[in-house]
Amino acid sequence: MADQKHRILMVSDFFFPNFGGVESHIYYLSQCLLKLGHKVVVMTHAYGNRSGVRYMTGGLKVYYVPWRPFLMQNTLPTVYGTLPIVRTILVREKISLVHGHQAFSTLCHEALMHARTMGYKVVFTDHSLYGFADIGSIHMNKVLQFTLADVSQAICVSHTSKENTVLRSGLPPEKVFMIPNAVDTAMFKPAPERLGNDEIIIVVISRLVYRKGADLLVEVIPEICRLYPNVRFIVGGDGPKQVRLEEMREKHSLQDRVEMLGSVPHAHVRSVLISGHIFLNSSLTEAFCIAILEAASCGLLTVSTRVGGVPEVLPEDMIVLAEPDPSDMVRATGKAISLLPNIDPQQMHNRMKKLYDWHDVAKRTEIVYDRALKCPDQNLLERLSRYLSCGSWAGKIFCFVMIIDFLLWRLLQLWQPTEEIEEVPEFTLPRHQDEEIISNFN
Amino acid sequence: MDSITSESLLHPKWRKVAYGGMQPEFDDNHTDESFLEDMVMNANVVKRDILKVMQDSVSISQYLCIVTLVSLVWAHTLQSTLDENSLLLLDASLFGSGFLVLLLTKEMRSLNLLFHYILNISFFTTGLYMLAPIYHTLTRSISSDSIWAVTVSLVVLHLFLHDYSGSTIKAPVALKNPSLTSCVSLNASVVASVFIASRLPSRLHVFAIMLFSLQVFLFAPFVTYCIKKFSFHLHLLFSFGLMVVTLALVYTLHHLLFMLLFGFLLFITIICPYWLIRIQEYKFEINGPWDEAKLCFNVTD
Repeated sequence: MADQKHRILMVSDFFFPNFGGVESHIYYLSQCLLKLGHKVVVMTHAYGNRSGVRYMTGGLKVYYVPWRPFLMQNTLPTVYGTLPIVRTILVREKISLVHGHQAFSTLCHEALMHARTMGYKVVFTDHSLYGFADIGSIHMNKVLQFTLADVSQAICVSHTSKENTVLRSGLPPEKVFMIPNAVDTAMFKPAPERLGNDEIIIVVISRLVYRKGADLLVEVIPEICRLYPNVRFIVGGDGPKQVRLEEMREKHSLQDRVEMLGSVPHAHVRSVLISGHIFLNSSLTEAFCIAILEAASCGLLTVSTRVGGVPEVLPEDMIVLAEPDPSDMVRATGKAISLLPNIDPQQMHNRMKKLYDWHDVAKRTEIVYDRALKCPDQNLLERLSRYLSCGSWAGKIFCFVMIIDFLLWRLLQLWQPTEEIEEVPEFTLPRHQDEEIISNFN
Repeated sequence: MDSITSESLLHPKWRKVAYGGMQPEFDDNHTDESFLEDMVMNANVVKRDILKVMQDSVSISQYLCIVTLVSLVWAHTLQSTLDENSLLLLDASLFGSGFLVLLLTKEMRSLNLLFHYILNISFFTTGLYMLAPIYHTLTRSISSDSIWAVTVSLVVLHLFLHDYSGSTIKAPVALKNPSLTSCVSLNASVVASVFIASRLPSRLHVFAIMLFSLQVFLFAPFVTYCIKKFSFHLHLLFSFGLMVVTLALVYTLHHLLFMLLFGFLLFITIICPYWLIRIQEYKFEINGPWDEAKLCFNVTD
């Protein structure tokens, strides 16, 4: 079973040229799966004039479906609008399994629904945490329940995320796998020379928004600057809270001690990271936090708020955790500064290499794919009963949506029979080129 | 380091960590006994007392009565059973009693503040008096039926969106700005009173009724809020008095309306609190490590 090769379609609204946790997860996972001999195709929406089919490193084929994003890089939810193109891609690429990413990607939800209608096995990865209290989360949780009602297997990026997903969707916990993100340790190497310890530089790289705890930074930075005269801050990233940080800097006259870089392109993140000793993460909610891994891989000691999945991410001696409250964060930063002389960035980097590896993530994901394909096939009636149990009203609406989808699919099959859709010819990268790319990737 | 690894190889124990690859002898979908152990259910649920809820609901009944009284005055003016002189007398007495209540219940009693208030109110009244001719002819081309229908729906909207917890007029103690719904509610009531005023026979009538309606809609919530702050017993007493007076006055106007209002008051003060207590047991609140952390300080943008 292990040497069975899959043909996987990754679906998400979030992909390159955007950068973030989900985007890099899909990219690296696809690269490693390609290396394991599977075929991987990515489907996302068009970004600007990047529309149509593109090829990326290692022969990764990306369909930029010409749907415009309308809100926060999401496509307009049309429920049935994407059925024809999803069907065409699935048939053309002879896909055997569909893997959707991220709970608030509409494209992912729609593609998974259509794939289930057409009888494909689907896997879903949840990258985010959601509460249960406000109207937005209640709505999102219902949508997630709909998608996950019929999903073959689900993946979460941390144990906390798994608990959250199980509660939100009502899936049996044994169907949910915990497979973390990883970090490309080759890309995030520590500085070749160790930085001096006379001046301690604390690096913050995050979008400056409420959820990332920008307001905590506003309280914490002046206090740390007051207590430790040899500390300097480098803040990378922009967002609506940037003005507040700049105000704080002027109010406490810290212009020479707090450097604001504005938005940092992902390619330059390492060069910013290696100029510092300590990485400060002030998020208020976080399912996994790849930024911490990148910092640790560059040999920085991390100070972070104890929220969501963050406590699971690193061993206790590589991270200092604090409650999301300014005084405790100042205390934790002080502790980190006192720990600093014992930290060897190169050693930290070597440890990270052992702890996280995308190839390991790909192998673990492969197991999930094998399990998903072993799930028994079900006809429409059996599947409808699952939707019906989602809620007294919602269940009936879900069933209705699925029946319409089934009818539309049948209609499409009459209009454009499967045999008439041209299949993509197989192509393999020339051997030498293949090896070169893989060695680059390593 | 070595001793730890050999020990953990002998007795592999599942740990809630994401690092270090797949844990030996455990699949990735392993669900430990510690699964969901950090979940807290119904942590913030307040146990409610039926008597307390009933007492709180009196505020709603009270405001319903105030609005009914305003509508009664409107109806009597339109039927010409109230002339403009008695309306003006009513305005003046409302001003007087309102001031009296404010002076008696608020801590800061200064002549300066009183003078300030009187100046503002005289500006307000003069403006209203000058605008009265415009209101008088504002809706002449619209039929009375439409005006009645719109007015009734506006009053219902006003009651529905009204902020019963405080007062729209900013009390010196209130920290929060009025919400959007309470502003919409206030505007609905003002438009309703303009519509009613435009049906009246003379300019003085228009002025008197506008002054009356605005006084009540703008300042009644503030005055009742002050009474409530001053003494809760007085508030209850005042509310019950108001209810009795309103019911009696409605009874003289129309028997069916009386039954309707009486039913409403019963529903608000007895049935709704009971209902609320009953549905409390369905309350199901989940908290856990996945919740967004709350900041312990106020964020000012």
